[in-house]
Amino acid sequence: MKQLQFDSTNAICGLTFIALGGFFIYQCLNLDLGTAFRMGPGYFPLILAAILTLLGVVVLVQATRVRGEPMGPLALRGMLFILPAPVFFGLTVRGLGFVPSLFFAALIAAFASSRMKPLLAVVLAGAITLFSVLVFSYALGLPFERFGPWTRL
Amino acid sequence: MDLVSNLALGFSTALSPENLAFCLIGVLLGTLIGVLPGIGATATIAMLLPITFKLEPVSSLIMLAGIYYGAQYGGSTTAILINMPGESSSAVTAIDGYQMARKGRAGAALSIAALGSFFAGTVSTFLVAIFAIPLTAIALKFGAAEYFSLMVVGLVSSIALAHGSIVKALAMVALGLLLGLVGTDIYTGTPRFTLGIREYADGLNFVAVAVGVFGIAEILRNLEGEKTRSLLMAKVSGLWPTRDDFRRMAGPVLRGTAIGSALGILPGGGAILAAFASYTVEKRVSDNPGEFGQGAIAGVAGPESANNAGAQTSFIPLLTLGIPANPVMALMVGAMIIQGIVPGPNVATEQPTLFWGIIASMWIGNLMLVVLNLPLIGLWVKLLTVPYYVLFPIIMAFCSIGVYSVNSNVYDLYAVALFGLGGYLLVKLRCEPAPLLLGFVLGPLLEENLRRAMILSRGDPTTFVTRPISAFLLALALAVLIIVFLPSVKKKREEVFQEED
Amino acid sequence: MKTLKALFGVSAALAVSLLATSALGQTYPERTITMVVPFAAGGPTDTVTRLVAESMSKDLGQQIVVENVGGAGGTLGAGRVASADPDGYTLLLHHIGMATSATLYRKLAYDTLDGFEYVGLVTDVPMTIVARKDLEPTDLKGLIDYMKANKDTVTVANAGIGAASHLCGMLLMSAMETQFVTVPYKGTGPAMTDLLGGQVDVMCDQTTNTTKQIQGGTIKAYAVTSPARLDNLPDVPTAEEAGLAGFQVGIWHGIYAPKGTPAEVTERLSKSLQVALKDPNVVARFAELGTAPSAEEEATPAALKAKLEGEIARWKPVIEAAGQYAD
Repeated sequence: MKQLQFDSTNAICGLTFIALGGFFIYQCLNLDLGTAFRMGPGYFPLILAAILTLLGVVVLVQATRVRGEPMGPLALRGMLFILPAPVFFGLTVRGLGFVPSLFFAALIAAFASSRMKPLLAVVLAGAITLFSVLVFSYALGLPFERFGPWTRL
Repeated sequence: MDLVSNLALGFSTALSPENLAFCLIGVLLGTLIGVLPGIGATATIAMLLPITFKLEPVSSLIMLAGIYYGAQYGGSTTAILINMPGESSSAVTAIDGYQMARKGRAGAALSIAALGSFFAGTVSTFLVAIFAIPLTAIALKFGAAEYFSLMVVGLVSSIALAHGSIVKALAMVALGLLLGLVGTDIYTGTPRFTLGIREYADGLNFVAVAVGVFGIAEILRNLEGEKTRSLLMAKVSGLWPTRDDFRRMAGPVLRGTAIGSALGILPGGGAILAAFASYTVEKRVSDNPGEFGQGAIAGVAGPESANNAGAQTSFIPLLTLGIPANPVMALMVGAMIIQGIVPGPNVATEQPTLFWGIIASMWIGNLMLVVLNLPLIGLWVKLLTVPYYVLFPIIMAFCSIGVYSVNSNVYDLYAVALFGLGGYLLVKLRCEPAPLLLGFVLGPLLEENLRRAMILSRGDPTTFVTRPISAFLLALALAVLIIVFLPSVKKKREEVFQEED
Repeated sequence: MKTLKALFGVSAALAVSLLATSALGQTYPERTITMVVPFAAGGPTDTVTRLVAESMSKDLGQQIVVENVGGAGGTLGAGRVASADPDGYTLLLHHIGMATSATLYRKLAYDTLDGFEYVGLVTDVPMTIVARKDLEPTDLKGLIDYMKANKDTVTVANAGIGAASHLCGMLLMSAMETQFVTVPYKGTGPAMTDLLGGQVDVMCDQTTNTTKQIQGGTIKAYAVTSPARLDNLPDVPTAEEAGLAGFQVGIWHGIYAPKGTPAEVTERLSKSLQVALKDPNVVARFAELGTAPSAEEEATPAALKAKLEGEIARWKPVIEAAGQYAD
């Protein structure tokens, strides 16, 4: 396998930069560029996006010259449970209210680890919720509704 | 001796039992809330602000100032312990502080941060007391061109944040700058890169981005293959810095204090550069730059001192001009107004008790922080023994609350998830998050000042070199660039020569 | 099928709102009320809201918590309230931006005139026309001549699109029939810094931000935009006196409730607002901000409705002439 001497991580990295740069350039096309005196909203970001794309190309080219370590495994289970936690909180905090929303968000996050036992997860989520309600809602008086309209039916 | 009598007035105000109590409460609350992961200084202050409204003006501001230092210190603690910076400045602390923690030196990192901050706080408090008024005149000389050039210096310095590939670091800065531009263009009102989501019209939330690319990326990295690998943290060795540590932190603390004090005076966002600039300087003057990013003491001591010094001196524009230098100071103004004190150029003469009382309480607050936190270090370090799988649901819960509490904007929570994913993938691609974050905070400032300078100069780009301060700063940027690149050029040449042999 | 469903929906909604109305009348308020400020904590509007909310809670016997829902020139907070339950437990305190965003934003998530019930006007904060302290003209007439003569070099600062200073600047340009170079900033703080440092020439902003600077002599004041001179700036003439006929503008604040909130509730809130506006503490704090509470007859649903309608009509041509939109 000698001919395949390139760093796959950096190759992907370079492609990612090129893709992101391309995305921003594409978005800039709808923006007014303006003149140097009165630069439009697209002037500065277009330059940056071009630089980003260019740097992506450099990374990609460099990747073909050396061999690097492989990327290693992705934390798929972690991503599956960690990332939805804040999203769930955001979707439900106004409907369900602060207490149930936070409880379930913490519960979801808890299952990201394979070491977590269900009972412990529930206890932990409960403890977090209790602490947060006492501190943020009662002590600091943040304007969160503790139980939202969805719980009233 | 005006200064002596003024300081005496200040201390007699700040040392009254109830003001001491409020200062203590402020510092304590600020530390305790700020130390919760994902809750940075801005969120902490926004949460605690209403409590202060019921107090007397002087007490209220003293408490608020205490909350501010406490929150900043608390933020550094989480940055060191779990790589969760809540402010741009603690993002720098996280780089080497977290590495120290992983090597079992969390206690030392925290003490160094506390002592460095205290020293910087003491020096800069006196700077505020003595030079507040003349320094203001210098700050006002900074127009758009000067700020642009200053931000260029900051950008050039960002190269020092990179430990791996410089090209990748530059790409991360560019990406950060672009992300910083998300939101409504203030010059034309055009929404940019918001994908039509009005909730992002004011830009992406800093905490959402910081928590995403640092904290969540770190959590996910720790979760990968957790069955096969036993964990991350080395055994905690010694809570306190060794004699050798003290020797090594002296220089960085002094330099950091100087850098932070100078940059903090500038109302247009100088303070955010303080920690970054200090890190660059330390890495440059170090005998062993390779140590940076692996847990260098100077990488914690310098930026933390710079950060705290900047936090103090950023009161100068507020106290002498009535102008808030950053969002936190804007909250301070709000607190003053609600107390019936509208800050303006005459606060020092119209409200001497308030003015000098706050200055005196700055120092007292810093002293309390150190006294309070040194014993707490043991406790914080113990937190590291909490199993990681118990820690991160807690982290996720608090960061959700923290992000949401600032503006009640649920889209900020979605941004946390998005940047968590993006940050993790970038880490997997061996990209470092610190340059991205620097770009993110600099992006809007850089563009805003560039465009403003061009408008004010009627489209004449020579404004950047004909204005003396701006020209000086650009020359400085060039010098930094040369110094940074020279060694690597030299190294390349050496390599080439070796190959030829 | 579809009509049946729709019919069912409508009747259910009717039943609910009827129930709500009859139940609300006697006992309102029976729990904590949320007052949304569509701006960040610590700003001038937030300050006004907290002062009024505290005083109103005493009268209503229930706590009013202030929630900051900032973003997009106040339109996010307004949108939140527009879609909230019309039960009187979610209110909005918004300023002149309520009227101007109807034109500044071409796509809004709510209908400005039709999405709300009205409670009443709170205060009308005057504005001041100010300049860097070394600008030559000594009075407003001189300033106008100077600005017209140097229209390519004079710079007018503002705190961003939709900000009070931006609105006042637009109005000034339209009154003077001259276009100037505008320099936008992110917020009042940086704009004021540059005015103090002499980097920009002219600005028009709320007294909240300018009074102390004028008193301290760090900037020059040419006129106030209120109908009469102000107590804490007695030497500054009104724009009318100084030669800009009809140039009156103020950052007025009003309290709104979601559309469908029962009239008994808004009446109750309006009464409570009138009490709050006479609270000596509120009066004193408002004076510090350089403003005064609205009169009792202004703090009524009808007055606010008329104000909003009038202001939307007034600003529409001004904003359209400037041709700048916020989306």
